[in-house]
Amino acid sequence: MKKNLAALGLLAAAALALAGCTDSAAPAPAGSAAATADGGSGEMTQIRVAALPIAESGALWAAIDEGIFADHGLEVEVVPAQGGAQAIPALINGDIDFAIGQPFGPFRASLQNLGAVIISNYASSLPASADTDVNAVVALSSSGISSPKDLAGKRVSVNSLGAAGDVTIMKAVEDDGGDPKSIQFVEVAFPDVQAQLEAGSIDAGWVPDPFMSQIAGNGGAIITHPYQATIPGLELLTNITTQKKIDEDPELVKNYADAMSEALTWASSNEDAVRAAIVENMKIPEAAAAGITLPVFSPELDVDNLRTLAGLAVGYGVLDKEPDFDAMIKLQ
Amino acid sequence: MTTLDTPQTTPPSAGRDAVAPARTRRMPSAARKALLGALGVVGFLATWQLIPALGIIDARYLPYATDTLARLGTMLGDLEFYRNIGRTMTSWAIGLVIALVAAVVLGAVVGLVPVLRRATHTTVEFLRPIPSVALIPLAILIFGIQLPAALVIIVYATFWQIFVQVLYGVADVDAVARDTARSFGLGRAARFRHLVFPTTLPYLMTGLRLGAAVALILAITAEMTIGVPGLGNVLNVARNAGDNVTVFAVVVTTGLLGLLVNLVFRFIERRTLSWHQSVRGEEVL
Repeated sequence: MKKNLAALGLLAAAALALAGCTDSAAPAPAGSAAATADGGSGEMTQIRVAALPIAESGALWAAIDEGIFADHGLEVEVVPAQGGAQAIPALINGDIDFAIGQPFGPFRASLQNLGAVIISNYASSLPASADTDVNAVVALSSSGISSPKDLAGKRVSVNSLGAAGDVTIMKAVEDDGGDPKSIQFVEVAFPDVQAQLEAGSIDAGWVPDPFMSQIAGNGGAIITHPYQATIPGLELLTNITTQKKIDEDPELVKNYADAMSEALTWASSNEDAVRAAIVENMKIPEAAAAGITLPVFSPELDVDNLRTLAGLAVGYGVLDKEPDFDAMIKLQ
Repeated sequence: MTTLDTPQTTPPSAGRDAVAPARTRRMPSAARKALLGALGVVGFLATWQLIPALGIIDARYLPYATDTLARLGTMLGDLEFYRNIGRTMTSWAIGLVIALVAAVVLGAVVGLVPVLRRATHTTVEFLRPIPSVALIPLAILIFGIQLPAALVIIVYATFWQIFVQVLYGVADVDAVARDTARSFGLGRAARFRHLVFPTTLPYLMTGLRLGAAVALILAITAEMTIGVPGLGNVLNVARNAGDNVTVFAVVVTTGLLGLLVNLVFRFIERRTLSWHQSVRGEEVL
């Protein structure tokens, strides 16, 4: 009897506690209302899109809330893939329809004839005229590293080896008169870079915001913005699908590309909405989100940039040969 | 020979009645135990609080215990938090059940047929040490970034924990008891029910308890590395945002879930094995 009463009490307390709960996953009222109202005109097609849980995905999250994809009859489920290593296999086996990923994913997939194709751009780094960029190589002020050539012979971290990070850093060091082959690249996740710098296990690290501003603000120094120093306006993230998808459902791919194009154009002139989406989806404080350097959101793919990047990668031995651009890039 | 008849002659309630007087005498010791347990938790939290406070580890990397608990408190007021616990525990439960059924069936069959046991021994010893997480690329290729991919690695790791225990259990049947049962004319089914099953049950329960913990670990690993929704994914998103307080709040949550799972399975184990000497003699936690 006593036990029953205690259980009942506990249940009541739990019910009360739950009733007082907020719900962070509840859809934003205005956005979802717009989405359903606009989507009522035609049938909705469900698509799964892989996106990294990083600030750049803010444009996608905000555009979905705004109802832009619903206007095109697309109901988007965002799958938080951890990187190209997960997204490409999931694309190939048809589990996801589209992925937003770095160009090196399709590069490598193309060399293995996996049939991953880039259909449009998603976000690019800032043009050469900007005095900042979306990512940078940072070091502690006490490290004695002040220019790219000082990175020669040092331990420099990138989040994933054999991609745009180490390739552009090698080029920046070479252009500055250092020996790019002498850099020891190590793989360190962006959030761990500051701790590893302070522990002395790396001499410099390649990071995007919010880590770039944090480290620079905590007695660190920005050594170089490697993208800007080598290929300004370089494609950070691209829209990727498979050749199979294009062959089977060209209409859907076209429709997605159109919706994405509209979404990116909208996002580039609605920074506040993008930052709000970053706050909501990444659960980071508003102040931190306000300090993030946003990339250029644009569907325009600069193929020459990608050719230059692939050429550099081959030159530094990161890729065995250049991918077949004609088969890999199918602009929609 | 006790193995043969204890399940029938000693109903579970008899064992409990016998313990009842002892339990009242243990009351002070139970209180002392609770007090010691509370002291341990307080001591742990105090040590945790001191490590960043004394600057042994920078507070930016190891947040204060008080900050972490406060964040956990905020999270407890968010429905999405419970949904994420639900997602994690759903993949845990599905994975555990699949592994349990497969391991019991295969373990019993392989264990009871000596030819099969000898034929599979090398293969089992080869497959068992393969870390489940090594199968993640394969799981993603076959199932994509969804629950089934997580289940592959959960079931793989959990299966061996239970399977091997079942094998040991089946092999542990007392030779004299087996011969006695045979000479008394017990059929295959009766021998399985009265001899093999009671002998294997304690092993199975141990395997199940170990498997339950392993399944939880891999459910969270899968969420972190594959991207299946759940607590592991919350942890990853917080990590990407550089929000270490939330990271540690989720770590504490997963620890508490592991503790809960262990307590529940210890309870089930004691209930099912109340007739067994290993449990009869043991003090209740």
